[in-house]
Amino acid sequence: MPPKRKAPGAQGGAAKAGRTSALSTPGPATPRSLDSSMMSEDEEEMLNDDDVDEAQKQREDMLAKEADQFVNKWALTSDNAGGAEDTAPRTNDAATPYFKKKDYSHYHLKPDHQNRPLWIEPDGTIVLERFSPLSEQATDFLITIAEPKSRPALLHEYRITTHSLYAAVSIGLRPQDIINTLDRFLKTPLPPRILTFISTCTKSYGKVKLVLKNNKYFVESVDTQLLQQLLANDQIKEARVSGTTDITTSYAPTMAGLVIPGTKNAAGVHQADLKQGNNQNGEQAQPGTEADVFAALNEEDDDDEKEAVHSFEIFDSSVETVQKVCLDIGFPILEEYDFRNDNVNPNLEIDLRPNTLIRPYQEKSLSKMFGNGRAKSGIIVLPCGAGKTLVGITAACTIKKGVIVLCTSSMSVVQWRQEFLKWSNINPDDIAVFTADSKTKFSGSTGIIVTTYSMVTNSRERSHDSKKMMDFLRGREWGLMLLDEVHVVPADVFRRVISSIKSHSKLGLTATLLREDDKISHLNFLIGPKLYEANWMELSQQGHIAKVQCAEVWCPMPPEFYDEYLNAKSHMKRTLYAMNPRKFQACQYLINYHEARGDKIIVFSDELYSLRQYALKLKKVFIYGGTGQAERMQVLENFQHNPAVNTLFLSKIGDTSLDLPEATCLIQISSHFGSRRQEAQRLGRILRAKRRNDEGFNAFFYSLVSKDTQEMYYSSKRQAFLVDQGYAFKVITQLANINETPDLAFATPQERRELLQRTLVDNDRGPEQEVETDDLFGKEQPRSRKGGKGGRKAGGGNKNGGGVRRTAGTLGELSGGQDMAYIEQNKAANKGLKGAGGGGKKAGAGAQNAFFKKIQREVEKGKGR
Amino acid sequence: MPRAVRGVLIECEPAIKSILIHIDQELLGNNAIIEDLDETHLMVKEGMVKALQDRLDEKLKETYRVEQPLDDSDHDN
Repeated sequence: MPPKRKAPGAQGGAAKAGRTSALSTPGPATPRSLDSSMMSEDEEEMLNDDDVDEAQKQREDMLAKEADQFVNKWALTSDNAGGAEDTAPRTNDAATPYFKKKDYSHYHLKPDHQNRPLWIEPDGTIVLERFSPLSEQATDFLITIAEPKSRPALLHEYRITTHSLYAAVSIGLRPQDIINTLDRFLKTPLPPRILTFISTCTKSYGKVKLVLKNNKYFVESVDTQLLQQLLANDQIKEARVSGTTDITTSYAPTMAGLVIPGTKNAAGVHQADLKQGNNQNGEQAQPGTEADVFAALNEEDDDDEKEAVHSFEIFDSSVETVQKVCLDIGFPILEEYDFRNDNVNPNLEIDLRPNTLIRPYQEKSLSKMFGNGRAKSGIIVLPCGAGKTLVGITAACTIKKGVIVLCTSSMSVVQWRQEFLKWSNINPDDIAVFTADSKTKFSGSTGIIVTTYSMVTNSRERSHDSKKMMDFLRGREWGLMLLDEVHVVPADVFRRVISSIKSHSKLGLTATLLREDDKISHLNFLIGPKLYEANWMELSQQGHIAKVQCAEVWCPMPPEFYDEYLNAKSHMKRTLYAMNPRKFQACQYLINYHEARGDKIIVFSDELYSLRQYALKLKKVFIYGGTGQAERMQVLENFQHNPAVNTLFLSKIGDTSLDLPEATCLIQISSHFGSRRQEAQRLGRILRAKRRNDEGFNAFFYSLVSKDTQEMYYSSKRQAFLVDQGYAFKVITQLANINETPDLAFATPQERRELLQRTLVDNDRGPEQEVETDDLFGKEQPRSRKGGKGGRKAGGGNKNGGGVRRTAGTLGELSGGQDMAYIEQNKAANKGLKGAGGGGKKAGAGAQNAFFKKIQREVEKGKGR
Repeated sequence: MPRAVRGVLIECEPAIKSILIHIDQELLGNNAIIEDLDETHLMVKEGMVKALQDRLDEKLKETYRVEQPLDDSDHDN
């Protein structure tokens, strides 16, 4: 059996976390190059590794290693487990062996444990009983201090990591608060290991802050002695701006007066002008009250207490050094942007439109970002279709400074700009676009630039325009950097982005903060902690995203396919399990069933060959990398508006950044190994279904899996993420009445054999690569496909095919003399032979009589002896 | 001249049957299977049952083993 559907611990805490020093702030703007295998916009942006010079690679390696070391230093691994607490007397009973190392029966339950909702393991895992009356409060608290791991209906699993604690500290929780509250909810006393873990992590985190005020960097702390300690270090002493001999004292900024637009508070409230007096030398006195967002947790706080903050100024150029040194001494620096006191960068006229109300969870996520009245950098995780864009826009409207938006493709660039215009009152001239096609600048002194990762990280020869544009981007300071779909950016790419563009704060947006490779391990600490992660189930209950029924359909492999499968090479195996005729039938059946219900269906296939075969056989429209731009738009429009076109076949180019609110049903016939992210992103295509708020509406997500193949393994792996979000996958082993489907494809063994032969022959040369890797709306590809397989335009109901083309050709070609059709006919004849001839013709061919097989076996046996 | 061989009748799913035949051909030199009866039945030599079982277990483990590393490439973006 395949492994159980449970997230493997791999995604673990140790991998992410920590905080590297050197490049986490905009340093001196050295132009850097980038190897980006991922995003290709056009020729100009096709990059490769050769661009990156050795020195830089080494430097990046070093940085990565350093980050690793730091991460490991803080990780709560089981290696250093044990010690005192493990010596506690244990009782052994009949059940003990089943728990192995996870036997925590020696922890004493508190007398009133039934009223407390939390269990804890010494490795930082916390289990929450959702059914407990206290679970609401406990959830709020846990989201703040721990990372959600798994959130199905009744038991939630969280995990305390360095990172989550760091996030908790950065929004103003104190270690003692964390420990007390945790203790209040726990059924057992707090294990001493967790206690020390929390206090060591929180002691060093967040004590020292790096603040950008008036374009000057300040090192800030509430503790004067700590600053003195830092200043004792030679390197920091050097970095300090001379002339400011004394440590200046000011008061901590607070949330007071800051209103996130779009929230209920914002109605009628004008943001107070908080600029106060003389801001030179960073001296500022800002009256305010301690209005903690987590007032609920810190009720004992005196409301009128002012927190004194001490700071000293450092040179811009030495920010990196200071960060590194601080890290070495064990006081990692937090980054914050005091945008309300930034008088140097011009303000941007931007506000949400008055009728815009943001949803409660969006408000919550933003309140974490602006927790103390300053902008913190970090990542917000929301499901696809839950309004990530609006969160980004609201953040921009709160900061009101220059904003740079980075997204993954040229189409999302256009979408972002449209969304900005739709939700905010920004002057259209102030929002500019920087892509391969259009390079505009905003008219005023500041504005918004929307561009792609590849545009800003490309370092090879660019056109004059692009170069000028890049210089423009590098030359200024940005208030906010919005990073869309931040999970696609490996850490090394991101290092280069932030090294070339200076921004005061960064906000990453994503739905799935996970990758199977560990390339994002440092990412969330280069940007900042995960500020907020939404609960998918909760959102779908509230109707913000669609309710989805997930099902895994098991399709047995017919024996002849399975025989081939066993002997095939790995790429052929993939093709074979995608081309499984039973799967085909299941797909056909589901399409018929859902079309009859009035659903709009998207069918996903990673495998191009099967995509085309399925679509042609079922006479449905399809889009893949090689489909031209005009054709794509036409197909999409038909899918959206034409009631006759209800099914669309998509290759993996449709996984992300495709907005089709009409789609209500999704069928997956082949996929990218065990990628949990792809599964989640694909599910995202139907989460925004338009009809989601209809009574009793459900969207459907089917994953077709060939039985007894590796697909079963991958499938269970892929589902892990969604299962953790609380989705339940039903397994369907047999579709009812499938054999009564009219025109069922490949119903006879002979048809199946033909399909098998064709599949084998067509794929002999290895898998076809997806031509284009850009998004669905990328640039037009050269239309000349090899030889013209004839099949492409032949699909009856196919809406493909553009207008008239004029081509040069010979007369022979026109009369069909050079047409591949000859070859096709040959093939067909071959198949006919095989079908009719049976085994008699030649031994060793595919379809053989059992008698001859036996003879052959006897012969081989004879040889063997 | 008729031959008599002691055999064991194995009933299994078609997929498992395929695997058994595969094992017989690749690893046991066509020594185990006496007769391929129909979709779900095989006649196997009595002495080879154990060997077949062991190999089958191995093979099934292989089926669910990952052959390629789970690279989560960026191609799809």
